[in-house]
Amino acid sequence: MRPPDVARRAFRNLPPTVRTVLLHARGDYAPWEGGFDFTPPILGRGEVTGPPDFVGVGVQKAGTSWWYELIVEHPQVFERSDIPKERHYLSQFCVEPFGPAEVRNYHGWFPRTAGTVTGEWTPDYFAFPWVAPLLAEAAPEAKILVLLRDPVDRFRSGLTFRHRMGAPHTSVTVADAVRQGFYARWLARLYEFFPASQVLVQQYERCRIDPAGQLEATYEFLELEQYRPTELRREVNVSSGGKIDLDSGARHRLIECYADDVAALAQLVPGLDLSLWSNFTDGATTSSAPSSAPKSEGSP
Amino acid sequence: MTPVTKRVIARVPERVLQLLPVELRADARDWLNLRVPGDVGYVVEPPRPNPGERPGPPDFLVLGGTDVGGRWWMSQLADHPGVAPNRTLDDAAHFFASSATERFGAEQGKAFHALFPRRPGRIIGHWSPDGLSYPWVVPLLAEAAPRAQVLVLVRDPIESLRARIAATVDDRPPHVGSNLADAVDRGFYGSQVAHLFEHYPPDQVRILQYERCVGDTAGSLADSFDFLGLDAGYHPRVVADPERSADGSADRLAPATAARLHSMYAADVTTLANMVPDLDLSLWSPFI
Repeated sequence: MRPPDVARRAFRNLPPTVRTVLLHARGDYAPWEGGFDFTPPILGRGEVTGPPDFVGVGVQKAGTSWWYELIVEHPQVFERSDIPKERHYLSQFCVEPFGPAEVRNYHGWFPRTAGTVTGEWTPDYFAFPWVAPLLAEAAPEAKILVLLRDPVDRFRSGLTFRHRMGAPHTSVTVADAVRQGFYARWLARLYEFFPASQVLVQQYERCRIDPAGQLEATYEFLELEQYRPTELRREVNVSSGGKIDLDSGARHRLIECYADDVAALAQLVPGLDLSLWSNFTDGATTSSAPSSAPKSEGSP
Repeated sequence: MTPVTKRVIARVPERVLQLLPVELRADARDWLNLRVPGDVGYVVEPPRPNPGERPGPPDFLVLGGTDVGGRWWMSQLADHPGVAPNRTLDDAAHFFASSATERFGAEQGKAFHALFPRRPGRIIGHWSPDGLSYPWVVPLLAEAAPRAQVLVLVRDPIESLRARIAATVDDRPPHVGSNLADAVDRGFYGSQVAHLFEHYPPDQVRILQYERCVGDTAGSLADSFDFLGLDAGYHPRVVADPERSADGSADRLAPATAARLHSMYAADVTTLANMVPDLDLSLWSPFI
């Protein structure tokens, strides 16, 4: 093993917060952190910038990295490996001014060559209610992608992920994980600024069962020619180790907490298949009993 | 860790933690068992009841953070001779932090009741700064204190958002969007009050406007005392809200930003106004 590989492996084995300290010490911040430099990347030869053609907005721990990789593998889609899938650019403008300069900067994050399309997927955008109007202003023609997952399973995976990334074990972190699961609420907010025809909502569970068919639907929505990626069932951002414990009573309370929202979601998304969400298989309105069905434990 | 060791370690000054890189402080607190209220796993030590005191569910709840004057209102209410002092007011403020993922049964309910010892004839309250906005808390409050009278503080959501952002002193690794989302979410009072009404009947709930409490503290306190069944003729020592942000601050929002925030909250404010007929929208100028 070469020395750089050893160092990389040793770095990966450090506790997440120690890794973060070291990265921050050399000025390396993630796009969701306060110190990130949002100066757009330098353009390569033949590249031009503009608004993204597609933007994935949700949801965290629903296979979005997997799905994004399948999209950008398409030969008509432009991607640069030095630009993160999750731009997070719009997250920072809740109370900050957002004008033409900020729109130009946002466009600067989307280089592409002639004849290709490009985009991003920032799962956090979905539950940030200030983002939809900004996105409509900066990329009014963008096609919007949303991948959803059983909200209780998503909560558990999301909270596990946040803790593994070094987030503090506080009620604020828990509340953030709960908040992201109110899909109908956030989708309704999105629909205030984008017509439903411009938004594709898919279910992670269905993508797992039928990746080829679901990817075909995604390509078609993005007006891409049909294409067969080299490997459909690749695993991206696989969670290692166990997930947080969720007491059965707490699971029941979460199901109740989401029940009305899931019912509203079924109205907003007519094709939603609730039979794929084991916590809500009997329909949201009859989900008051704790589910004893085995839970989906997908890879994200 | 023995209780003595715990007490010794608990004396590690916060200043020492402040010497660590910001990213390590949360972990250091975990390692040293220095959890603070709001941390999952923080255990509140119940006060030892004084002679004649008996524990039980709180008689009233005050829901609302410091940005809406929740802590201030609680301390004003506690000035009334009919209100027993709450000796774990701040410690117990986030009592339900762990309950989103953990069991909450008779044992946890009993632990909650143990925080509220009082003599017969006096009432006692619980302050929950995030009970309204964190959706798993209200059902548990209703389970643990079903007969409690509930005071909810609300404020022009744009102003309260700005107060929350200004007051955020976060020593944790900043996840910009998530921290903002938490601040934004707390202002959706309409949907939160609707959720509250699913668990407490409306006549058990009093919605207070922060602006009115600031403008007429004595009158609003008298109304709260009356609602709680206390002598409304009592004249408390009126103290201004120490957390109150300065009016007319120089950093006014850009008009386009203000318009965006208005559009974000407008429908929810309408929902709230429909549920609370005496909500005075003239006090929330962007929403008149």
